[in-house]
Amino acid sequence: MRTREQYIREINRIGRIGVLITLILLFAVPTIFGIYHDAIPSLGDFFKAASGLLVLFIPIGISEVFIYSPLLGSASYVSFITGNIMNLKVPIATNAQELMDTTKGSEESDVITTLAVGISAMVTITMIALGVLLLVPLEPLMTSDSVLIASAYVIPALFGALVIGLLKPTGDFQVKGKVKAGILPFIVLFIINLFWINTSDYSGILLIVMIPFTILCAYVLFKKGQITIIEKVKKESE
Amino acid sequence: MNYFDVVNSGLLYSLVGVVIVFVFILALYFTRKAWVRALEIGYTKEKLMTVIKSTVIATLVPSFAIIIGLFALAPVLGNAWPWLRLSVIGSVTYELMAADMAVGSMGIDLVDLANANIESFVTVMFVMTAGITSGMMVLLLFGEKIQTGVGKMGSNKHAFGFVALESFMIGLLATFLPAFLTEGLVGVFTFFTSSIITISLGLLVMKNKKLGWLKDFILAFALIGGMASSVLWTSLLG
Repeated sequence: MRTREQYIREINRIGRIGVLITLILLFAVPTIFGIYHDAIPSLGDFFKAASGLLVLFIPIGISEVFIYSPLLGSASYVSFITGNIMNLKVPIATNAQELMDTTKGSEESDVITTLAVGISAMVTITMIALGVLLLVPLEPLMTSDSVLIASAYVIPALFGALVIGLLKPTGDFQVKGKVKAGILPFIVLFIINLFWINTSDYSGILLIVMIPFTILCAYVLFKKGQITIIEKVKKESE
Repeated sequence: MNYFDVVNSGLLYSLVGVVIVFVFILALYFTRKAWVRALEIGYTKEKLMTVIKSTVIATLVPSFAIIIGLFALAPVLGNAWPWLRLSVIGSVTYELMAADMAVGSMGIDLVDLANANIESFVTVMFVMTAGITSGMMVLLLFGEKIQTGVGKMGSNKHAFGFVALESFMIGLLATFLPAFLTEGLVGVFTFFTSSIITISLGLLVMKNKKLGWLKDFILAFALIGGMASSVLWTSLLG
């Protein structure tokens, strides 16, 4: 049997190759299309159109890797290649980890997460392809008021389920009192949202500050003994 | 050829199809690697099948929300390009914002893109691609180092690193929750409906062993119930 290190090395190698080829293919699409139609924009036109977007999204894109990778492990490669991370991959990963009762950072957690995210990516790709194929017959349904309303609330519905899952301890080692680390960050943002500005459009940028802030709170509480690590005592029958 | 003949042309569909097929095969390859490794470290096929079943069902619902993004983008960008953008890396909210910002920088309204020249469309393709790929580039450079770091953080179950790993998810929720909890009552009620469904089904499974199979579908039911309830809450609360 391969060691954990061998498996991780192999996954990283495939992941890096996959990311590189995907990047090349992604830029090849507008390049070939543009050359065929003799419509390649000048660098000046590109930067004029792209500057605002790049300034906003490059920091978000970079920070997302550091924020989501610890949650997704080896599944980060498939997750970042197929996207829809916060609204699909993270909940799916958390759900699979809870189902299999894995411990964060363990090989079991990593393997189960990769399996779930890979399956989820294939299902989504298939569903979107079906959506394209059935664009015309599906239009009345997909643009109906009920479907539009329900799809606008996918994030609250997902988070409602996720929060409960978060309170339920999983794995052989459990972090008791971990939710306390989120209380102060939650209150700060709640006040900002209540009295100043709705931050839903800025969540990507806010994460750059809020994740380190939450970890800092966790550190202080850990040092004060408010957050502790306990080993789960397995029952005889287990 | 008019704008929509070009953006829905066989050439663009073929280019997009190649990328999507590649990404699908990559997801399949990762899934297979994880499946084989999971069997190696002691999981049974039956246990892994429960993860797969739960993941498939839980993915279907948010996938509908992604397909709705297709209906929002297709009238402006055609069918082929949004198909790629939503299948690879993209997220519904980013794609709409990115297209709008790119077109706006060229002094055109998004809805008027069809009246502009093909070079404007190609520019939008390049800009949308460049804006979303920064995360992948970082992953390409630092992915393995992050993996190693996460492995180290999770390996010592008594050090703060293990607490920090658990804090990432707390930080994510602390960042996203305040925005929609203060945005309107429908979001709040949808969130709590989903939470209540999760708790109720969880208790049902705990108390009745015959309903153990239900455990695999709690996330899916909470999502469907939560999203469906948003239609009710909207009609009641406006």
